Amino acid sequence: MMELRLKPKVSGLSIPLEAEVISPDVIAGKTLREVEELRVYHGNRAERLGEYFEVEGEVAAEPGEQLIVVEGDVSWVKYIGAGMTAGKVVVKGDAGMHLGSKMSGGEIIVEGSVGDWAGAEMTGGLIRIGGDAGDLLGAAYRGSPEGMRGGCIFVEGSAGYETGTGMRRGLIVIGGDAAPFTGAHMNGGVIFILGRAAKRLGAQMKGNGSLIICLGEVEELLPTFVYDTTYTPTFMRIYLKTLSEKLGIKRAEEYIGRPFRRYRGDRAVGGDGEILVVERG
Amino acid sequence: MPVYRSVVCPFCGCLCDDLEITVEDNRIVKVRNGCAISTSKFLHHHENRVENPLIDGKPVALEEAVKEAAEILKSARRPLIYGLSSTECGAIAKAIELAELIGGVVDNTASVCHGPTILALQTLGESKCTLGTVRNRADLIIYWGCNPLEAHIRHLTRYSAMARGLYTSGGRKDRYVVAVDVRETRMKRVADLFLKVNPGGDYELLSALRAVVRGYGLDVDEVSGVPRDVILELAERMKKSRFGAIFFGLGLTQSEGRHMNIEAAIGLVADLNHHTKFVLIPMRGHYNVAGANTVTTWQTGYPYAVDFSRGYPRYNPGEYTAVDLLARGEADAALIIASDPAAHLPYKAARRLAEIPTIVLDPKRSMTSMISRVVIPTAAAGIEAEGTAYRMDGIPIRLKKLMEPPEGVLPDAEVLSLIIEEVMR
Repeated sequence: MMELRLKPKVSGLSIPLEAEVISPDVIAGKTLREVEELRVYHGNRAERLGEYFEVEGEVAAEPGEQLIVVEGDVSWVKYIGAGMTAGKVVVKGDAGMHLGSKMSGGEIIVEGSVGDWAGAEMTGGLIRIGGDAGDLLGAAYRGSPEGMRGGCIFVEGSAGYETGTGMRRGLIVIGGDAAPFTGAHMNGGVIFILGRAAKRLGAQMKGNGSLIICLGEVEELLPTFVYDTTYTPTFMRIYLKTLSEKLGIKRAEEYIGRPFRRYRGDRAVGGDGEILVVERG
Repeated sequence: MPVYRSVVCPFCGCLCDDLEITVEDNRIVKVRNGCAISTSKFLHHHENRVENPLIDGKPVALEEAVKEAAEILKSARRPLIYGLSSTECGAIAKAIELAELIGGVVDNTASVCHGPTILALQTLGESKCTLGTVRNRADLIIYWGCNPLEAHIRHLTRYSAMARGLYTSGGRKDRYVVAVDVRETRMKRVADLFLKVNPGGDYELLSALRAVVRGYGLDVDEVSGVPRDVILELAERMKKSRFGAIFFGLGLTQSEGRHMNIEAAIGLVADLNHHTKFVLIPMRGHYNVAGANTVTTWQTGYPYAVDFSRGYPRYNPGEYTAVDLLARGEADAALIIASDPAAHLPYKAARRLAEIPTIVLDPKRSMTSMISRVVIPTAAAGIEAEGTAYRMDGIPIRLKKLMEPPEGVLPDAEVLSLIIEEVMR
């Protein structure tokens, strides 16, 4: 891959920068000079990318060959990798809101934490977050019926409110704790929670194979989720092995062969989604 | 001594339109039919006024204040226009025009009251009716997380529990009244059934009711402090009612769960419509907050939290809402219209208002006017200026002008027009 490095010239801007141009799809095929001239938005002013970042390295001909490395904390930059279809973006620090929103392919690695709406309505690709995620990770935008429709998000830390709201397909793995309303309105897809799951898990979950798997403690389930059995599902072995091998979550293997309690719901909407909670002890 | 009849009260979302107001020497001396709040608002209208346009606390001419305001807004990168719920619709339309012109963010106070309600309505839809229909037909009324006896004082007698209507001639006798709250308010004395729900437990209770209405059993003994039998009985009563209405307030919209609470309530009402007629009406606070949402929607497509920084309207509560913009330190100038955010917003947001150049348009002195760079006095809508306001159920009502504003003081819409002209110059 050809590596293009973006080094922030400023730090901690109070008005965030909207830079959906930090994406392999936009940058591939341009010259370094053209990259510097790309348009970013600071409040109501349109400005040059080059005013905020030093641009160096190489530019690939195709997005799939483009690696973009953002060197430093850019929690003040929104829409990094939004809508990207291929290639790779690495952020060596925190990133702002809407990271990788609506992306359909490629990979984003953030070493720090991300703001709200990361991976919102994504349809493919992989997002890895080393720190914590904000609210509405992989969620549906307001007024939209469906959230994440494919791809994978792995957060090593905790995730905020309403993670995976309206999720239709795809996989979200939360290494730490999950805030309330994780998986609300879920209508397909899988969410793994390795840490503590807060209350109102899967609120108004419909079904279509939606599955929330809790490997840690669960604060409380809604009264509209009903226990039906304790079992050791065969597919769990494959899933946990995949998490370990493909995403490098070695501790997932500890749960292979463990029994799970299965709850169905949300009856408030007549749904038949499933919440699997690992049996303690 | 002119006596104005059928005056509309510009205080709360009830917009009672049967007041009689006596004006003597350009001063209100008598109010009939008003509630305690309304009467006090009218009788004390002349007090605490901003007398002159001010820049940094010093009196200036209106033209100078307008020029300074336009200068601040033009040079800002992320200007915020906020408030709008206590003024008439014409001023709101002008504020949105200005927001588009300066590439700013326009938000109204719904974002700190019924904003979650709107989010939920957008997701699931709405089963609603006018307050007149509730008055004439409802035989089951539920007040959830609201206390109209103290906040919407004439709501019960004019529109709901006590009102006598076409098919409810017995008034209170013809209705079954339920109140749900986290503590025993005065509504307990009015209600046939009072449910004390654990704080932050509304979502669970609404979900349980919904599941029962859908015909599922309940496997638990109690939900959020309410015993199972009570839930089963209430669900049955809801299904058997002829016409049910749920009124809800900030106890539901701003407690844990927020828009999800309202989604649960809307879902419950939608499910109940398989059995009978059921509606849901938010208890809107400021008299024209419903109008602020309506005007913003017809002008931009979105009800609040609208960002024009890229030239076209974008909507995202949490990102473009006033509290968030201020608390994150994003807004670099603010125009506040008919609102007092310095007194009501969280500390961090209010502090940011004091740090940036703030402009306020208000008839009266407020905390916000004390921290503002520019203060422009305006005529109070519904007293000194005409206009339209939307009642909590979405009915537009024309406000009356009862008296002349102080000399040189213009209505909000006219001051905003002057600022727009100056910005365009």
